[in-house]
Amino acid sequence: MSRQSGLGEGFTLVVCEKPDAARRISEALAETRVETLQVEGTQVFRFKRAGEEFVVGAALGHIYGVWDPFDERGVYPVFDVEWFPTDMLGKRASFAKGRIESFRKLSVGAAKFINACDYDVEGETIGFNILRYACNGKERGALRAKFSTLTKQDLVEAFENPKSPSSNSLALAGRTRHVVDFVWGVNLSRALSESVRSVGHTYKTLSVGRVQGPTLSYVVDREVEIRTFVPTPFWAVKGLFQKGGLQFEAEYSIERIHKKVDAERVQRSCSDGKGIISRASRSLFEEAPPPPFNIGDLQKEAYRVFGYAPTRTLQMAERLYLDALISYPRTSSQKLPPSIGYAKALAGLGRMQRYSKEVDEIRKGTLLPSEGKKDDPAHPAVYPTGEQPRRVLSSWEDRLFDLVVRRFLAAFATQALRERVTITIKVGELEFKAVGGTTLKEGWLRYYRNYARREDNPLPPLQEGDEVKVIGVESSERFVTRPPRYNPSSLLEKMERENLGTKATRAETISTLINRGYITSDGMSTTDLGFAVIETMKTHSPAIISTKLTRDVEENLAAIEDGREDARTLVRQTIRILSENLITISSSEELIGRAMGGAISSALSAQYVLGSCPVCKTGKLKIIRSKKTRKRFVGCTNYPNACAASAPLPQKGVIKTTMKVCQKCAWPIVYVKLGRFPWRLCVNPQCPTKRGKTHEVRSLQKRG
Amino acid sequence: MKCEVCRREAEADSSLCAFHKRAGESLRSEYKSWSEAYGELTWEEYLDRIIENGETGEWVVEVARMMLLGKSRA
Repeated sequence: MSRQSGLGEGFTLVVCEKPDAARRISEALAETRVETLQVEGTQVFRFKRAGEEFVVGAALGHIYGVWDPFDERGVYPVFDVEWFPTDMLGKRASFAKGRIESFRKLSVGAAKFINACDYDVEGETIGFNILRYACNGKERGALRAKFSTLTKQDLVEAFENPKSPSSNSLALAGRTRHVVDFVWGVNLSRALSESVRSVGHTYKTLSVGRVQGPTLSYVVDREVEIRTFVPTPFWAVKGLFQKGGLQFEAEYSIERIHKKVDAERVQRSCSDGKGIISRASRSLFEEAPPPPFNIGDLQKEAYRVFGYAPTRTLQMAERLYLDALISYPRTSSQKLPPSIGYAKALAGLGRMQRYSKEVDEIRKGTLLPSEGKKDDPAHPAVYPTGEQPRRVLSSWEDRLFDLVVRRFLAAFATQALRERVTITIKVGELEFKAVGGTTLKEGWLRYYRNYARREDNPLPPLQEGDEVKVIGVESSERFVTRPPRYNPSSLLEKMERENLGTKATRAETISTLINRGYITSDGMSTTDLGFAVIETMKTHSPAIISTKLTRDVEENLAAIEDGREDARTLVRQTIRILSENLITISSSEELIGRAMGGAISSALSAQYVLGSCPVCKTGKLKIIRSKKTRKRFVGCTNYPNACAASAPLPQKGVIKTTMKVCQKCAWPIVYVKLGRFPWRLCVNPQCPTKRGKTHEVRSLQKRG
Repeated sequence: MKCEVCRREAEADSSLCAFHKRAGESLRSEYKSWSEAYGELTWEEYLDRIIENGETGEWVVEVARMMLLGKSRA
């Protein structure tokens, strides 16, 4: 087999993280036609610029990963780990083989190397590993192209002035994170699984990752708080008043009255029908625009306004970045430095009809954006580049794009001016308060109004000493509400506040907790398995789930990024901590196994239970696999004695319970995941919602 | 010994697991504020109202049901 790519020699090899980025970089830099070639079954691009020949190749995320070279199931501790091509680590990464081979062949003929992966810890790690392993130790001499958008102008600038990295500290920090997290995960997962296996149970994936553990413990602690919550009653008293034909509401000055009898007394005391305005004050306050988006803020806002899960927002934002519509999204920055070119971005947006009017207004003012405090040395806040979409965006992507654009426009707008009016009404000795608010000047709200509504609640013009009529006073019984469960957005915020994980991995950690069956996807309540894992860790190895330990590791990783800390020290420290905890776990294997056994059994059977049977009302509908045909179907647990309810299921793809029932027929609804997009399916083949769609349903089931 | 409600391992000094024990403690400690709030409330009336209230935690409901069945304060 030839060691060369067949593309000759002396070219510059550009290493990209993703194929779409490779294509865009090639199109932006090329001064000749871009040739699309295949090397080892992998697409590469060739072109010339200023007489120099460039070949651009792409990875597909990480194509090297950390693994245990002995890979013996159940054996721990594992501290000697190595980097391997990801295709050797599992079938799902088989794509890596061709890409690695392609880089290996290209590197033989290349005279110069440029790392053009995303400029952050993960991108640096991907580029470093390709240059080191596939390109035979070229990580030292390679140049670095740094850019925050995939627009032609930014790319040309980045490649005309590629940097010669003084150190590989970002890549070193990234590689250390991978090693620490792998060592952490593999040892604890094996220790837990072995404990469970030692008492005769089996469970395919039982893990406690370094960030997973503390994150799960937040969810569990909140769940305990909710499930042990006892609401306490109180009464709220509200009055309806009138002045000159205008009515308004005011609340009794004590917001929570703890005794029913006191609330009734307040109500009776207001029966004489008159009140006097004892105080009336007006105040003006300015409301500054929200800071430009960093990735965490974007994920939280997209969840708040559209209900997008953080992982989904990140995926879509990356897609918009690869289309050069927005800047690099994995950023911590809330700043928009002048170097991004405000005028150019605004001019581009102004060419889009839906923003043209608003952009015209903004361009008339001074272009000085409002910014937040957070900064990121690698990238600015997320902003629209002003490029026109070259494809039709999906409605989800379009909504996210609009959110980014409007947040960017709002940053250049003036503050909003609002008036707050507070009125105190005396009814005998009792005081009621009314608060009204109106927007006097919209400012940034004009550009962001779809996402930040401010309700106007004007009060009638009232002066101190004015008399008002009491129309009625009512008291209502209320209860202190329990704390809310975390949602993907609030959990992400909590992780951010506690400095757990990175901006790039937090959303993924939450998804892992759901995929492991520790928390539910709808409502994010803790499952029995989630409780069992945290209880076990709290009893036998509390340090593993402590926020402090994880936060210390994050701080050390940040210090490695800055070149202040030695990576080997952190790895040694991790091994020491893990060793101590693994000894404790190992010596309590049986206890742990027994404690977790019940939860595992119920977690395993819960996977197959879809909900109550709507036919017999007493059984449960379960996913059953036929012993004869090996096909899966839905059947009732009361079969064959009391119920024969059954239904076919798609035979391929993952089926998960939604814990929801169909509004029309009361049969359970399941998620079916086959391909990229999951869909919901009422399992009842006779469901009225499927009338007229029989053919469609059948073909789906056939397809399955 | 197993928890009377959920079959988890019971606490050494209780017939309930740590979670249901905590729920029972919350339930008992709030009785005073409920009876003061309504002026007069028997223990059984309190438990009935707690069970019906949508804000009550599910472990508290389970303990309250168990107490009502046993007519005891567990």
